[in-house]
Amino acid sequence: MVDWRQVVRTRLADLRLTPSTESELTEELAQHLEDLERDLQSGGATRAEAYRETLSELDDIYELRAGVDRSQCMTKHEAVPVGDATSRSFFDDLQRDLRYAGRSMRTNPVFALIVVATLGLGIGANTTVFTLLNTLILSPMPVSAPSELVAVASTGTAQPNTLMPLSYPNFTDYQNQNSVFSGLAGYARMRALTWQTRAASQPLLTEFVTGNYFPTLGVGAATGRTFGPEADAPGDPQAVAVMNYGTWQARFGGAADVVGQQLHLNNVVVTVIGVAPQGFIGVNGLVGPDLWLPFAMVERLLPSEMRTAASDRSKPLLQGVGRIKAGVTIAQARANVSALAATLAREYPDANEGETVTVRPIADVLFGGGSKMVRFAGVVLAMVAGVVLLIACSNVANLLLARSAARQQEMAVRVALGASRARLVRQLLTESVCLGLLGGSVGLLLAYFGMQLLAGSLPATGTFTTSRLDGTVLLFALLISVATGFVFGTIPALSVSRAGVSGALKEARTAGRSARKVTVANSLLVGQVALSFLLLVTAALFLRSIQQAYDIDPGFKADHLVVFITNPGQAGYEDPQTMAFYQDVAERVARLPEVESAAWASNMPLFARPVGGLQVEGRPRQSPTDSSITIVNTVSRGYFQTSGVVIEKGREFAELDRPTSLPVAIVNEKLAQDYWPGDDALGKRVRVPGEQEMREIIGVARTANYSAWGEPPQRCVYLPLEQNHLPAMTLYVRTKGDPAQMVSAVERAISAAGPQVLVSGIRTGQQVIDGSLFQARIGVALLSVFGLLALGLASIGLYGILAYTVSQRQREIGLRMALGASHPNVLRMIVKEGMSLVAIGVVIGFAAALLAGRLLSRMLYGVGAADPVSVAGAALVLGGVALLACYLPARWATRVDPLVALRQG
Amino acid sequence: MAQDPEWKKGSAELLVLSLLEDQPRHGYDISKLIHIRSGGALRFHVTSLYPLLHRLEKNGWIVGRWVEKAEQRRRRYYSLTPRGREALRAKQQSWKDFVALINRVTGLEHG
Repeated sequence: MVDWRQVVRTRLADLRLTPSTESELTEELAQHLEDLERDLQSGGATRAEAYRETLSELDDIYELRAGVDRSQCMTKHEAVPVGDATSRSFFDDLQRDLRYAGRSMRTNPVFALIVVATLGLGIGANTTVFTLLNTLILSPMPVSAPSELVAVASTGTAQPNTLMPLSYPNFTDYQNQNSVFSGLAGYARMRALTWQTRAASQPLLTEFVTGNYFPTLGVGAATGRTFGPEADAPGDPQAVAVMNYGTWQARFGGAADVVGQQLHLNNVVVTVIGVAPQGFIGVNGLVGPDLWLPFAMVERLLPSEMRTAASDRSKPLLQGVGRIKAGVTIAQARANVSALAATLAREYPDANEGETVTVRPIADVLFGGGSKMVRFAGVVLAMVAGVVLLIACSNVANLLLARSAARQQEMAVRVALGASRARLVRQLLTESVCLGLLGGSVGLLLAYFGMQLLAGSLPATGTFTTSRLDGTVLLFALLISVATGFVFGTIPALSVSRAGVSGALKEARTAGRSARKVTVANSLLVGQVALSFLLLVTAALFLRSIQQAYDIDPGFKADHLVVFITNPGQAGYEDPQTMAFYQDVAERVARLPEVESAAWASNMPLFARPVGGLQVEGRPRQSPTDSSITIVNTVSRGYFQTSGVVIEKGREFAELDRPTSLPVAIVNEKLAQDYWPGDDALGKRVRVPGEQEMREIIGVARTANYSAWGEPPQRCVYLPLEQNHLPAMTLYVRTKGDPAQMVSAVERAISAAGPQVLVSGIRTGQQVIDGSLFQARIGVALLSVFGLLALGLASIGLYGILAYTVSQRQREIGLRMALGASHPNVLRMIVKEGMSLVAIGVVIGFAAALLAGRLLSRMLYGVGAADPVSVAGAALVLGGVALLACYLPARWATRVDPLVALRQG
Repeated sequence: MAQDPEWKKGSAELLVLSLLEDQPRHGYDISKLIHIRSGGALRFHVTSLYPLLHRLEKNGWIVGRWVEKAEQRRRRYYSLTPRGREALRAKQQSWKDFVALINRVTGLEHG
């Protein structure tokens, strides 16, 4: 008898029916044909005739195809392009690979979602950091040809890295005599001026710049015009100003009539002649001024401070920014400027002796003294974000590996049908690059919201630098997405395509993942744990560092303290009026209930700037830029009690220190120690820069922090306000209770004493410290976010791989339990497996953390790289989360019903 | 005329449904009955019969069931559903109308 089933099956193969349709139809037709053949034979036909006759029934198989319902057929496209040995053209293949990638994502949307989300987090973190770096470091200035710009500044011999301004006369000499710059402009540090409006006085940050400032930078005006070299003309300078675009928008509502508007600044009427282009904040990295004013106006606007600005060669005022001529190198420019400096030192030895002038890349001055730190922090941040992306990649690689177990057979079939390995790798890589690009889109979205969040946390003055998601960032995101796709796709692609044909065909369905693949997956996992441990330890180190920093004794008492900056000089007060104002305010505030004491000082806590040129009696004269730089603080009576700075020796300033009496000063321990080691400083004499007479030292104060929290000790000289009248001072108020509660009462007292006087910079002691540690706190916040992100990703990875292992080993676990293994035994076994990987990762991560800690040591305060608390804390957090990630799949394993598991296997 | 496929197509459904009116039958049974009753003039190949059966089943006019009988391979028996019965009535009616129409036009009735 003929096996009609076989015959029918062969004929039907071409129709590509669904398996169930095919098997039913085969059975039905075979039955029919068997019946027919039997009837024909019993009707008298020979066996051969019957066979021929029966077979002819199947002649017109295409009639069957026409009659078969579409739903009974397989889809037109092969799920897998069969074999695919011959590639026709690159784009043909690409199109096919893309279709394949799209299908494989559609068939497993949850998998694709997890992968895209993981990659999105990783790429988002990197794009955010890149946007920051791009804004702050890579292309910070929206000016023409920024690479031609250099900073020209004076450097001291003792601190060659501290860049200091040049005096105006010196600056003009460099401007006129250099042969290397097509333009050399100058700008003074930002100063707050009092903007008198009908309602109240407000501070406006201003930058005094030379007339050629805008032409040199190549910056035009968004509206109106900028000023040019004519603004430098001596005589009666034009009272004009160029406004920051951000200020125009934020404080003037983008008013169309802003050009021509007149502002009352320090009792001078200044006309706004234009608005700078959007995004331009001067030669500043983070915050720009509200207004740019011609330097020629400086004396009119700040008469008491700047009386000698134009003529005094020892008054450092202007930072130089030069545009280097084509073909000139920085080294050549430096040599030219140094030669000029030597000439100037010979011509004006009093002011310029020992002064050296250098030329630096403009990036060195964008963040003042912190430029190097900003760049270092940028590099650290980029590396941390890179580590997060690496974890995300290895996580996704692991997911792909786990899935590839199911595809092993598919790949083997295709290799058997003649697909080359390169072709398979390419196809799998196309798929992972597609996933990478999708992740990149999510990442861009995250970066956008991240930048919005960051921008929202800055004060809305409009003068801060604005981050841009520009073409560079988009390109970066695109590149990183493609690269990511390659990185996480390569391992699984190579591993899958390596499949030995026969081996894979035989075993793939039943054996689960091969030993090799488990090894690769485990190594990836160990790497993830190590990296996230590294980030956690780093975050913990910074956290501890900040804690330690808050515990520093700054040398003054920050609690119950609140400070107010006032500037009666800018309100047009003359000297006697100013001194009366100080006296009046101190008395009014001291009378307030809840106030313990009030006093004046010229320096804000942690905002003091050291100056050069202190002269010590009996020692040779020092040049202004050498190591004799000192903090000079002019203070009123009661300052030491109010600020909490302890007088160690001698006495405080008192009633008897009058303008006409013996000039006196108080120095700090550091200064006394430096100049009179082992000797008593009391009775010795010093001359502070800008003064003619020597002052006798009457007291020694404890060394405090003056410019930054936790700074290395600096020398400091205190002068009595009575003997050194200043137009602007900061009021220190010590309160009995919460200082924040006293702010408005004190403000009222100040405006009662001087209604026109601007009060600004109101801060409690705590806010002063927080502000000083702002960068560190931002750093800790970012590191913590990234550390936790890494921990989360690694935990998901750990969970995923263990869950997968458990599902693959169901049979083995079932067998163990059937043979008497108890639930706790199985639980222990699985958890132990996971945790031993974690332990290896932690050990590697610890070694890496030691290394990283050493590299980061200059950003750390008071903690070593191997700080046991940080390491133990990180290990505890990681261990806890990892344990949970192991426990869940392990508990799932104990729920395996031995009978079911064995039958399934 | 008997072998004309157009003719067969239009009437095939009517033939199959009619054969199932009294009792469920399997595919071979149906094809044999058509062959015998038409005196050998009509014959359905398996390649057209089974798609037709499946189409009728999909329409909900007939329903197929696998039936195992002792000492026999299992067979798929098709039976008429209530909807199939209605369809059969309609088809019979329209067939009668059609034949009557043809007869009237060609004058065969009177001839």
